[in-house]
Amino acid sequence: MVVSTAETTLLIDAMIFGNLLVLLAVGLTLTYITLRIPNFAHGDLATIGAYVAYFIYTCFKISPYLSIPLAFLISGTIALLSYLFIFKPLADRGTGIIGLMIASIALEVVLRSSLHVYADILSETYKVISRGFLFRDYTITLGTLSLPYLFIISSALSIFLIFSFYILLTKTKFGIAMRAAIENPNLAEVLGVDVNKVYAISWFLAGGLAGIAGAFLPFRITAGPEVGWFMLLRTFASSILGGFLSIYGAMLGGYAVGFAEIIGIYFLSKPPFNISTAFRPAISFMILIITLLIVPEGLASKIKLEKISKLLKTIKRSKKQ
Amino acid sequence: MIGIADPIRFMIDLTAFFSIYLMLSISLNLEYGYTGIPNFGKVLFFAGGAFIAGAVITRLLLIIIGLSSKNYCSFNVLYASEVTKYLAENPLLSILIFVTMLLAGCIVGGLLGYVASYPAIRLKETYLGITLLASGELLRIVARNYDPLICGTLGVSVPDVFAWIPASIKEFVQVLIMLGIALSTWFFVEKLTRSPLGRLIRAIRDNEIAAESYGKDVVKVRMKILVLGSAIAGIAGVLYALYVRSVHADDFMPLRTFIIWVMIIIGGVGNNIGAALGSFIYVSTERLIMQYKHYIVAPFDVNYLSYIFFGIVLILILMFKPKGLLPEKPSKTTEFEKIIKKLKKK
Repeated sequence: MVVSTAETTLLIDAMIFGNLLVLLAVGLTLTYITLRIPNFAHGDLATIGAYVAYFIYTCFKISPYLSIPLAFLISGTIALLSYLFIFKPLADRGTGIIGLMIASIALEVVLRSSLHVYADILSETYKVISRGFLFRDYTITLGTLSLPYLFIISSALSIFLIFSFYILLTKTKFGIAMRAAIENPNLAEVLGVDVNKVYAISWFLAGGLAGIAGAFLPFRITAGPEVGWFMLLRTFASSILGGFLSIYGAMLGGYAVGFAEIIGIYFLSKPPFNISTAFRPAISFMILIITLLIVPEGLASKIKLEKISKLLKTIKRSKKQ
Repeated sequence: MIGIADPIRFMIDLTAFFSIYLMLSISLNLEYGYTGIPNFGKVLFFAGGAFIAGAVITRLLLIIIGLSSKNYCSFNVLYASEVTKYLAENPLLSILIFVTMLLAGCIVGGLLGYVASYPAIRLKETYLGITLLASGELLRIVARNYDPLICGTLGVSVPDVFAWIPASIKEFVQVLIMLGIALSTWFFVEKLTRSPLGRLIRAIRDNEIAAESYGKDVVKVRMKILVLGSAIAGIAGVLYALYVRSVHADDFMPLRTFIIWVMIIIGGVGNNIGAALGSFIYVSTERLIMQYKHYIVAPFDVNYLSYIFFGIVLILILMFKPKGLLPEKPSKTTEFEKIIKKLKKK
């Protein structure tokens, strides 16, 4: 295959960005399908992951890739606590959707301000920059291609995620209980599913995935306490493009938005248009608005899990042949 | 007042920001408290007013004076002070510019509200909230990167349309005018919510389907309210730009929307006195923190602590006092009519 290097890098960038958005959008969708609230604090869970990785990197000189499990745990725990102590009590008290949305904005402000305070303390005590930091990535050369580690690790993680979610949702008892609890909480409860436990685990997983994405973010974007907020709009665009109720839709949406943004701005910033690259977030915004106005039920509304499993089976068969 | 270096300055600032936030919280209360539109993009309309004031005043006056606006962005501070000197000698023109800007803010806010109401008709409350929030961010990104508007990241300085008033009472007069405008919007919204339209919007909030079944055009009414609320926010934006005398895109973060929500949730949703109380509580806390900031020794910016504090307060109020400090009261009209009947019988 003859591909010029500029185009290869572009595709690699788009793939990485897509992977990050998939991690974020799957989490956002997971929280949305539980209580039906768009969690505006989702971006800040990613920021927490970024700071966990950065703290470990500056203190112990350990590669950010190795702090992924810790980022997963810490962001997941914070998401779980926010569900247990804020959203669940509010939902139990009969607070409406708008009330829950306001609470999630309040949580967003609290988390972001806390991260600002933490960044100030970090730079004060360790004398390091705590805003606008970047991680240095290494590349490995495969033939003529030089691939950044981030590309390999984030892609592997996303593929792993897609398969593990598929197995979790279709093959395990917990996954089936989860789907039941999401589809009809009351009926699932009657049939003995612990809906609260299922929701709590969903929130933990969502926060954890955001934390992983956060640990990856400083490889690509200069990170600070606001980095999660900048990703939030794109995350919403991805989730809504995917239908907001479907985990596979979120994956599809993540890649669609990631590729659209990276490749779109690449072409829009070239001579015929000459648009400043600073307008990049506008692409996600356009996707969001157009999706809401034209296909509010999202792309995934027509793609069913059964169809995917059929597709996978045909792929397996074709591989055997 | 003990510990406050300049009490008069403090009071003027307090009143000015109270007036601006009063207008914003009242208009959000009209949209959310009375009509049930979750406007998470309030800052969009506020920014619209401020941006139009920042973008237009200096350029317009440069044309009137007959000066060229070459390299406007690099020299905008210079141009603004030049224009201010000219305005100081022309009271009539200053007043004219002030009134025109208020109208322009009203129109721009209203137009943005009209554009935003287009999805408002079609979307559920969740999606509407997301869209409005995202639109606010989009306007900020555009303003930040599109230099001809308000000079991008540089920001633009706004001339003083009150320069013709003697310096000793200038700020006092300006703040009084701001408070006057804010109080008149307060009375206007109060009157509106007591009118038949006010009863209709509450009916829509409480049960949209019932209102629709009585033949009320829910979509049209919601549009009307969103345009009205946005126009008020636009005027507040103009007043803000004229008071602060500069406009920066990054002043209009979604954090401002959050602050206005804090005000109406603390004060009481669906109660204008509550909204006023909420804005007063927030503004006075913010101003006091600004005053005492230098005395607090901390390895971080104290402002963030106040955001954390208000965030937690908001969540606690949602949990334990969801109707706010001053809950919505039933309409006063029936009682008033009874009193009149009694008076007539006597």
